[in-house]
Amino acid sequence: MNIAQKITRPSMEGFERVEYDVAGTKTVVYSIGSGDPVVFLHGGATFPGFEFARVWARDRKVIIPHHPGFGESGDDDRINSVHDYVLHYLDLFDQLKLDRFDLAGHSFGAWIAAEFAVEHSHRLRRLVLAGPTGLVINEHPTPDFFKIRAADLPEYLTADPEVARGLFPDGHDVDFLVLGYRETTSLSKVCWDKPQGNPTLGRWLHRIELPTLLVWGERDRLCPIEGASAWTRGLPDARLEVVPGTGHLVFEESPAAIDTAHRFLAA
Amino acid sequence: MPILPNTEFLVAHYMPYTELPPEESGRESLWVDIPNSLFDPKKGHDLYGRYFHEAVLAEKLGFDGICINEHHATASSMMPVPSLIAATIFAQTTKLKVCVMGTPPNMDSPNRLAETYAMLDVMSGGRLEVAIPLGTPMEYWVNPVAPATARKRHREAIDIILKAWSSREATSHDGEFYHYKYLNVWPRPYQDPHPPIFIVGSGSLETVDLAVEYGFGYASTFSPIPKQLAALDYFQKKTIESGRTVRPSMFPLTVMTYVAETDEQALAEFEPHAKYYFDFLLRPGEFANLPGYIGLDELRRRGGHVLPSSHGRFDWDDLQNFYRVAVGSAETVADKIEKWAEEVGSNRIIFEVHTGDMPHWKLAKNMTLLAEEVVPELKRRRDTNQPRAEAAE
Repeated sequence: MNIAQKITRPSMEGFERVEYDVAGTKTVVYSIGSGDPVVFLHGGATFPGFEFARVWARDRKVIIPHHPGFGESGDDDRINSVHDYVLHYLDLFDQLKLDRFDLAGHSFGAWIAAEFAVEHSHRLRRLVLAGPTGLVINEHPTPDFFKIRAADLPEYLTADPEVARGLFPDGHDVDFLVLGYRETTSLSKVCWDKPQGNPTLGRWLHRIELPTLLVWGERDRLCPIEGASAWTRGLPDARLEVVPGTGHLVFEESPAAIDTAHRFLAA
Repeated sequence: MPILPNTEFLVAHYMPYTELPPEESGRESLWVDIPNSLFDPKKGHDLYGRYFHEAVLAEKLGFDGICINEHHATASSMMPVPSLIAATIFAQTTKLKVCVMGTPPNMDSPNRLAETYAMLDVMSGGRLEVAIPLGTPMEYWVNPVAPATARKRHREAIDIILKAWSSREATSHDGEFYHYKYLNVWPRPYQDPHPPIFIVGSGSLETVDLAVEYGFGYASTFSPIPKQLAALDYFQKKTIESGRTVRPSMFPLTVMTYVAETDEQALAEFEPHAKYYFDFLLRPGEFANLPGYIGLDELRRRGGHVLPSSHGRFDWDDLQNFYRVAVGSAETVADKIEKWAEEVGSNRIIFEVHTGDMPHWKLAKNMTLLAEEVVPELKRRRDTNQPRAEAAE
């Protein structure tokens, strides 16, 4: 069964946009809604947008920073590891006066969220990891993202490649190519030679002692579902929600995934 | 003004593997992921033998040097380790210089590369020249260097090599990427303090800046003439600003050359091999698209593509109009070389004498006509015009 539905082309209309200076690096933060805060850390590209946040924003304040080197945030030469991103967010969350909040992340953003939670779980209430990268699973290696041909990317992103294709511009778009190159470059700074993730992350997952939801597309080709059990084994309080007929971009492909995460955060 | 006094004439040979089955022409890439089952070691052995013989012929014909380069996992080159090629050529020659253009120093251990080149320089009695490239995007797929830090590593590796060559006692290096408790090359280079160094570039100003900063020459790779001239202007301006003088040897003129009896015959003999080179051999596929390799402004100038579209597409008019390609009779070729040498102000002319799958007889013919007709003609024009040129100053 394929429950995939095409979601409208992303836009940031209705979001509030604020620029922060984090240790000299321009950091753009979008937010929408009001209520208890949930911070969302995006994956290795910003082009899929944040349409799902409109659902969560019905009763929550959803805070979406762009990582340094991605989207509208500035570049930061000093950020060369996921741990550097953790420190960046420590700074930003202090500025945002977020003492205790929910944290969600998708893909590369889930990797950052997991490493943040390992070190600072006392600041977090609940954690959502959607299609997470970052955990090295020798029995179920993930494909090397950097080796995927541009033309093949849609098939890796969504179970129905048309859904991903709908997120790409029609025809040759230099701005889009330059943004994609910049974001892939930023990603390459932290994991070009470690495409499987951080080899020591598994050693510390037990420190994430908070309710954690793993949202996983059943047909995720970038982070195949076979790897999910390694996360559930390592996390003390995690539940796995498999989203049928859905690929890596769970929130873009499946409204059910958006609702599942929303319900989990409401508890 | 014709060619300059003390002009040196070199040849360049890129030693491609030319025995690919023709049915591989449909392959998207002949670089990085090309299966080496397509490489026939016996044919490769024969090709090496032929190519070394051609290097020896370059010396016999009186050329001053030969340029070789480095590429990895590609049918367009059999020189992933050019130092071995240089060592073999040196052993078979007595006067010929070898310019290794060269190993990206961030892909080797910098100190080991300094040692390798120093050995070559001593073994050859000071016949080594070195040109330092960043390497094409394709090389980074088959080497363990993250491309986003490639330029920083490249720069630090150059510092290490210079330090290792210039110091006459044990020194050390403590940098961002490399740490040597002791840095001490033994043997040290034959040339004092070290062999001539060029930076290899395809016109990006970032690379020209690097050459200027170190006071090295700048060797253009195969890139359009306007881009080369822009790089030259920038190079001259920046060198003068830095208080140094621009020497004519600093900006070599590289020309893809083929000489035959007439213009028509030259083109007819040359064209199939150029086509083979650009259409078939030089095909990077998606591997040209390497993250972190170029700056975003440069990427935007290139329309969102990392490499120019000349890779993998042969267009004779385009080649004639935008690149330094001299194909024709000895007179035609001499005219073009003279004009370009003047335009660039260079006393270092590099003829790319072997293109694509050119057979030995054509290469031998090409080099012989260059050596016996084109170069003497250029020298004759220089010698007859020189007094007049001096008087005019």
